[in-house]
Amino acid sequence: MKLQVNGVMHEVEASPTARLLDVLRGPLGLTGTKEGCGEGECGSCTILLDGLPVNACLVLAGQAEGAEILTVEGLAAGQLAPLQQCFVDDGGAQCGICTPGMLIAAEALLRRNKAPDDAEIREAIAGNICRCTGYQRIVDAIKHAAVVRAGGAS
Amino acid sequence: MIIGRSVPRIDGHAKVTGKAVYVDDLPPRPGELWGVTVRSPVAHGTLRGIELDPAFDWSDVTVVTAEDLVAMGVENLVALIEEDQPILATGVVRHVYEPVALVACADRDKAERARAAVKLLIDPLPAVLSLDEGTVVQKKYRIDRADVDAALAASEVVIEGTYRVHHQEQLYIEPQGVVASWHEGETPVVHVAGSLQCPYYVHKALKKAFHLVDDAAARVEQTVTGGGFGGKEEYPSMIGLHAALLARKSGRPVRLIYGRKEDIEATTKRHPAVCKVTLGCKRDGTFEAIKVDVVMDGGAYVTLTPVVLSRGTLHACGAYRFAHHRVESRAVATNTPPNGAFRGFGAPQTIWAVERHVDAVARALGRSPIDLRRQNLLQKGDLTSTGQVLDVSVGGQECLDAATKAADFDRRARDLEAWNAAEAAAGRRKRRGLGISTFMHGAGFTGSGEHRLKGKVQVDLERGGRLRVRSASTDIGQGTETIFQQIAAEAADLAFEDVSFENPDTSKVPDSGPTVASRTVMVVGSIVQKAAAAVASHVRAKAAPGESFATAGDRLLAAGDAETKCLVQYVPPQSRAFDDATYQGDAYPCYSWACDVAEVEVDLDTFETRVLRLFTAHDVGKAINPVLCAGQVEGGTLQAIGWAIHEAIVWRKDGSIANARMTNYIVPTSVDAPEFHTTLVEVPYPNGPGGAKGVGELPMDGGAPAVANAIEHALSADLRWGAGVLLPDLPLLPENVFERARRAEVVS
Amino acid sequence: MSALGESFFRPRDLGEACARVADLVTRGVPHHVIAGGTDLVVESHLRPPSTVAPPATTLVDVSRVPELVEFAVRGDTIRLGGGVTFLTVRRAPALAPLRVLVEAGKDVGAIQIQARGTLAGNVVTASPAGDGVAALMALEAVVGLRSVRGERAVPLRDYYQGYKKTVRAADELVAWLDVRVPAADAFQSWRKVGTRLAQAISKVALAAVVERDGETIRRARFGMASVAPTTSPLAHVERFLEGRAARGLDLAGLDAAVDADVSPIDDVRSTAEYRRHVARALVREVARGLAPK
Repeated sequence: MKLQVNGVMHEVEASPTARLLDVLRGPLGLTGTKEGCGEGECGSCTILLDGLPVNACLVLAGQAEGAEILTVEGLAAGQLAPLQQCFVDDGGAQCGICTPGMLIAAEALLRRNKAPDDAEIREAIAGNICRCTGYQRIVDAIKHAAVVRAGGAS
Repeated sequence: MIIGRSVPRIDGHAKVTGKAVYVDDLPPRPGELWGVTVRSPVAHGTLRGIELDPAFDWSDVTVVTAEDLVAMGVENLVALIEEDQPILATGVVRHVYEPVALVACADRDKAERARAAVKLLIDPLPAVLSLDEGTVVQKKYRIDRADVDAALAASEVVIEGTYRVHHQEQLYIEPQGVVASWHEGETPVVHVAGSLQCPYYVHKALKKAFHLVDDAAARVEQTVTGGGFGGKEEYPSMIGLHAALLARKSGRPVRLIYGRKEDIEATTKRHPAVCKVTLGCKRDGTFEAIKVDVVMDGGAYVTLTPVVLSRGTLHACGAYRFAHHRVESRAVATNTPPNGAFRGFGAPQTIWAVERHVDAVARALGRSPIDLRRQNLLQKGDLTSTGQVLDVSVGGQECLDAATKAADFDRRARDLEAWNAAEAAAGRRKRRGLGISTFMHGAGFTGSGEHRLKGKVQVDLERGGRLRVRSASTDIGQGTETIFQQIAAEAADLAFEDVSFENPDTSKVPDSGPTVASRTVMVVGSIVQKAAAAVASHVRAKAAPGESFATAGDRLLAAGDAETKCLVQYVPPQSRAFDDATYQGDAYPCYSWACDVAEVEVDLDTFETRVLRLFTAHDVGKAINPVLCAGQVEGGTLQAIGWAIHEAIVWRKDGSIANARMTNYIVPTSVDAPEFHTTLVEVPYPNGPGGAKGVGELPMDGGAPAVANAIEHALSADLRWGAGVLLPDLPLLPENVFERARRAEVVS
Repeated sequence: MSALGESFFRPRDLGEACARVADLVTRGVPHHVIAGGTDLVVESHLRPPSTVAPPATTLVDVSRVPELVEFAVRGDTIRLGGGVTFLTVRRAPALAPLRVLVEAGKDVGAIQIQARGTLAGNVVTASPAGDGVAALMALEAVVGLRSVRGERAVPLRDYYQGYKKTVRAADELVAWLDVRVPAADAFQSWRKVGTRLAQAISKVALAAVVERDGETIRRARFGMASVAPTTSPLAHVERFLEGRAARGLDLAGLDAAVDADVSPIDDVRSTAEYRRHVARALVREVARGLAPK
């Protein structure tokens, strides 16, 4: 099977009916995408599939063939992307287990909406459960990242 | 100053790039097996036997039962406070989900099938499923100060109330799990790596069960841990033992990681409790006497219940001044999974009761909940229920002022009233309300705990003038690594980057005591400070004139200077000794204080509650890292809000859990969570690093009562409910508020 | 893990999909048609433990079948391909007139589920808590069932026959849903009372489309989730309202109509009593919306 992940085409030995999450974490070794519930509830396994945020635990590998996949490992090019840096600086990550999925959901938002308000940010990450932060600092980090991406002060 | 600066967390880079290695991210080891646990489906029963389905192919499956433990000479015991909990049940099962057998197989799917092929022969016995039916007392305490009976008899106003709270699941997003291996040899070595808070708890449990004498015979290592909140305090000992047993019998490494369902079902939860409060006061609202009767549900085994009950007992009189106190508490056994550590550790349960009761008193006296609190809040020089004189770091009043100021309370209350009136006039059904809670939380272990623990930290000089902090305090998200580096760098007068943090691994770090009880910064941090300062001043003392710190350090290392390492043991500050028999004396070195103001919106038809804004002020002594500290405050407060209005374990009549899924165990999402307005108040505690005291648990204590108070405020123009409070019990699920409201008189 | 099975097919078009399914049905091969996977994969994950491996199930993935992901506006009808996702519903400007469906779409799970979950999937799953189904009912949806035997159209109100029972034959796919575009001045409302504000399953949800001539209610269509064995229309409520003046409605009569339409139960998420109370309240809320103070 061929999967296009983070801009690279991979040949993988995997059943097309395997969950995409298992193929990413197993044969592809991309363990940044996490499993928290296995039923599309926690959002820890959020990836972009052709630009849309989806739960990798609910997508079968065969369904992702021919699509462009982005995981947390694809966010940083050399140095941290502004979104990642803001999560670190502003307290957006605590235990970190929800962070990869949260970043991907935020990335999907910021690609569509350059200057989201609080309500739009909260809605965009409502499928990503965080048990540590209370969300305020995640919201702040995403808002901050939007400013940095727009060329504003970091 | 490095202390007080929001240095970006040092594990942040790994966490935002996906490089942080959690237990499930560890690459499979050669020959590794997947372990699973066979559990009792019955709440209470006689275990007659275990049958392996003869139709199943067991050739590549390892099975461990209590009989194997006997054969292997393993003591069937999870070492904790009481020696009552077996590693695998034998003879009797005492709760649904109790581990009875273990299975491992290289093929994960087959291991799961093998689990179903183990048949447990159990004759059911009558089961006790709620604390109301519990008769077996696991522990009890009594505080009796001055003369409560006489004081109540003489009080102008005496109010009584009964308040209940429910289970809560920690719901860390990373389920529990470990990887274990067993190395046979002249001295066998067992190695457990996993998601855990307290490596030395697991270490102790392994040593005890396997009769290991040498500390090095058991090695326990923390992997990056995806949240704990107490849930990974004691339970990892169980999983660690299970995986180690499978590893020993199979001779292979074993990975034992729970799925979400199993994690919710089998692991510990917050203790349910019922508290009866009697409070006597003057007509002008001055509190005089309080009597609290507490019953907690310990579950099927004692585990940490005595300590949880202790903390609940010590917080049962709230943050208020009384001349007379009596608290009688007990924990009873039930046939439900053992309840255990969860942020707050017994305090949120009794603080719920006392805070709700203060609201009941305010209602009875026709007083505002704020004013009544302000009038009775403990001040410097006052005495607590244990007779402890509050002589340092008493910030309750400052917190009350800061939170109400941030909320602009009076103006906001007026605006809400106008808003509600406009809604009502338009025939709409939403109402808003404001609520408040004031609370304190004892920082560090209770009473003589730290004397017994003798927590240790070591700081080592390394090449290049760098320091390495070795402690068993784990970072489970709160930022221990970063904060310890800040404390050490400050103490040593080095740059933040010149300090590093050793991963908690029992082969590399001393036992600093567990990562619990809001003690990490205040207690362990204080010895990090001492050790770092000692090493640095030694290097500086030995440095030749003009010689740099790094050069001098390298020279001392090369010379084998012993004082380039410093091991410090914690010595609790002098205080009035705590008497475990009378529960009098200094219960905690100091207290952290807080005030929450919640603004809610309630739907008069559906009774859905939304917390719109949460203004909170927390007196933390000193915020070592304000961003991380506020993150603790907000995250803990949201857990409290979740406990109040969303979360509930749904028990079936057979003692099993009906909603062991994230779809049905409801924690708040980003759209459910309020906007937080957090103020960090700093009334320094002289013995904490930089003045810091504990913060981890405090935020869990006040969210629920503040929200309840706000809901009642929102409903007060439309409903009358007579004496007491409308909402004495958690959870405040819409269904429950609906039930309560239906019994109240509808005004509009 | 490959708990879902061995064979996996991705038909290029609807004809091929129907042919593949027909063949599997004829040969008696266990199979599932999968689109977003938001129900199917969850169900496989929740399968109770068993000593034997689950039977290999063949999957026919229709998530990329072009005909299914399209939609077309035809006068006062919009034909929605069965594979149209909730996210598409939310974002496509042409679908904005279907306000009740757009609003329901926002309340389905959260964005990850909306990006994968499809209208046909919601219909086929036949959950009593089908938010999308409730909205489609209020829009008088007609279900287009396609098989190699041909195509038939079934009103969505007639599609369900009991808990998880539908009129769909084993070889039929939900190819499209025709919905009636409400009049521009129609009252459309969506209200979900769920376990929380996102990532929630409905305790009660109500979709309403009401058209009026002046003060008089001309046409009322309601769909309600989680108060009956299937997501259902509220036939008694509709009959009660049609022809009446929106102002000064007999609310007791309205409640009685609701009671005749719902049969809620206690479950892990809520109670029958609460659901009945909320069902009445949500219908009253619509009545208030029709005649604001």
